[in-house]
Amino acid sequence: MVDLDHKGWRVFASPLVGFLLLFLGFPILIDLVYSLSRVSFTNLRSPEIVGFGNYGEVLGDAQFWRASWFSLRFGVITAVLECVLGLGLAVFLSPLIEKRSWLMAPLMLPLMVAPAMIGLMYRLVLHEFVGPVPYYLYLWFGDSPSFLNAENAFWTLVVVETLQWTPFALLLFYTAYRTIPNDVREASAIDGASARQILTAIELPLMRPTLIFTFFIRFIDGFRVFDNVYTLTGSGPGGSTTSLPIYIYEAFFKQGAIGKAIAASVILFLASFVGLYALTWLSRRGKGAAS
Amino acid sequence: MLKFTKITLSALALITASLGAANAAVTVLGWPGGSEETALRAVAEAYNAQSGVADADKVELLFYSRDGFYDKLQADMAAGSSAFDINLLATYSIGRYASYMEPVDLGPDAAKVFGESVLKTMQFDGKQYGVPTDLSLHFMYYRKDLIDALLADPAAKTKYAEISEKYFGKPLEPKAPDSWTWDDWAATALYFAKSVNPESPVRYGTVLQMKNLLFNIMVWQSVARANGGDWMDASGNITIDSPAYRTALELYKKLYDAGASPKDSLSYEYAETNAAFGSGQVATALQWNAAAGELTDPAKSPAVAENVGIVAPPAGSAGRADHIHGLGLGINKNAKNKPGAAKFLQWLATEDAALLYARSGGSPALLPDVAAKIAKERPDLVTLGQYAGAYGYVMTGATSANAFPVYELQAKEFTGYWSGQETLDEALANTKAGMEKLLKP
Repeated sequence: MVDLDHKGWRVFASPLVGFLLLFLGFPILIDLVYSLSRVSFTNLRSPEIVGFGNYGEVLGDAQFWRASWFSLRFGVITAVLECVLGLGLAVFLSPLIEKRSWLMAPLMLPLMVAPAMIGLMYRLVLHEFVGPVPYYLYLWFGDSPSFLNAENAFWTLVVVETLQWTPFALLLFYTAYRTIPNDVREASAIDGASARQILTAIELPLMRPTLIFTFFIRFIDGFRVFDNVYTLTGSGPGGSTTSLPIYIYEAFFKQGAIGKAIAASVILFLASFVGLYALTWLSRRGKGAAS
Repeated sequence: MLKFTKITLSALALITASLGAANAAVTVLGWPGGSEETALRAVAEAYNAQSGVADADKVELLFYSRDGFYDKLQADMAAGSSAFDINLLATYSIGRYASYMEPVDLGPDAAKVFGESVLKTMQFDGKQYGVPTDLSLHFMYYRKDLIDALLADPAAKTKYAEISEKYFGKPLEPKAPDSWTWDDWAATALYFAKSVNPESPVRYGTVLQMKNLLFNIMVWQSVARANGGDWMDASGNITIDSPAYRTALELYKKLYDAGASPKDSLSYEYAETNAAFGSGQVATALQWNAAAGELTDPAKSPAVAENVGIVAPPAGSAGRADHIHGLGLGINKNAKNKPGAAKFLQWLATEDAALLYARSGGSPALLPDVAAKIAKERPDLVTLGQYAGAYGYVMTGATSANAFPVYELQAKEFTGYWSGQETLDEALANTKAGMEKLLKP
């Protein structure tokens, strides 16, 4: 092991720092300038600095808060559903998958499809005249609900997202579940623990890091949802299915309000940073209390 | 080492020479994947085969994918890209791109081929920015068998009168589609809706494309225009909160709420509308002219193709109106070969080139005497030219730099009203406020 002095660290770290400054620092700097400017596609190279007006416009825009609420609600609900379903499937299918490991391949198939394609696929699947779902509903019940109107679109999108990403949670939970030594389960069974007690008192606590990790990954993915929502409902009637990324995209490209779009993305970045920092702090505090 | 240097220098020279050759050609960025691409390929081939075209002015074609086409084009043009000499432009985005483009003189004969009203779809601030290659407008598609049965059945007429009295406060008589007013069409749509008339032979009377999408506003706004609606008056005041707009918005909501259009209409656009009408369960559809090929082709729409009738959109209190917008080709300000690009566009605006473009599948709007020359091969273009000339309109301000965001704003607010999330007053007030901001001089 070679000890590096201060100068050595500088030499070895400089390519990385240079790379970060070039590919992250420069765009961030430009973004900050644009977020403080009145800028459109016609004056990209000569933005007019206007101060914090764009931030004020974003924070005063009801659609921004509506989009934030949509993203937050969508992220939490889909993450919870995917984790609950993924955990249930991992526990119940574990004996079967252990014997027939090839079953994992078809279960993972939804992950192989691009989210934008999933959105397009459900445009067909749910279409009243060509989709199989409305067809069978009409055949069996004589009617089919509106899946994509303003009242139901949110829950349809939640189901679509959950169906695609539950296998991801299943994969991680199954892997964590199988790493728990059988000795532990056998010992607790000998001590008289029921299957439910083994699950709640032994297995779930041992899987806790994976549960938390998976929840956060899925929450982040759900929060920043764009592709499948955009291809399935767009921003929705009256903007009812506008997630934050869709809000930013539409402000940037559709409205040409570049300063406003970048101000919204800076606010999102800061909010995410504060949120993640708070969660990390809470997690450390929890660990400290536990030890 | 010397050998390596020689090889490197030779390779660089070869690359530079090939790039130079590529730069000398006229690169055209076209609309990909449809009849427009097929037609553009045909005219480019014909142009390049002409003996008078220098090698340096031969045309090469470039295509992006359709998804996000205008976003990518906008980013490229704003970045000052010279990767193409000629680019696609559309009526509703011409104001946005004009500052990155060069006006073009198409010559005096262009007006004899396309007519002034069609040339205007490619003008901004009084300057011509492109050749109008394809024109889009709307047709009212209807089921001839259903309408004929309605017109021939006295009991059906009585039911029709009852329904129209209930929804419009006056008993109406069924009429032939080419003399429909918007109220006649709406009464017909209600008559053929199972939710209103359980005896209807089809599930819905019409299919409204009401997704929050700017193109759907273009389809709908002819109802407002036919009643005298416009974006702004001659003094530049926003006139969106007018009786015409209120009537048009309320009409769509009335039909949607009554179940005359499919339940998911708020997520419908072009493709969903074709699928619904083509299923045989819908009596009428206001749809883009481009759908005519699909809906009248027995192989593509076997349930309805033999019975599809086409008329102009119905009339309102101010007459009949049909939204038109054009796709066209214009010169990039950063083009490397502007003279070559201008030559190609001037040739494209000639009658021979326009007819070749039409024969190859394109949809140029041609004056009646020009369209007559291909009437046998492309009868739809005769109708297109007639409707464009007689009923075509562009809303005041709809070619401005912010026309695109205005349509986006209207799409959001009006779908908010149709879906019951906003009142009509709120939707119109928000739209007016937004338009005042977007269209202020």
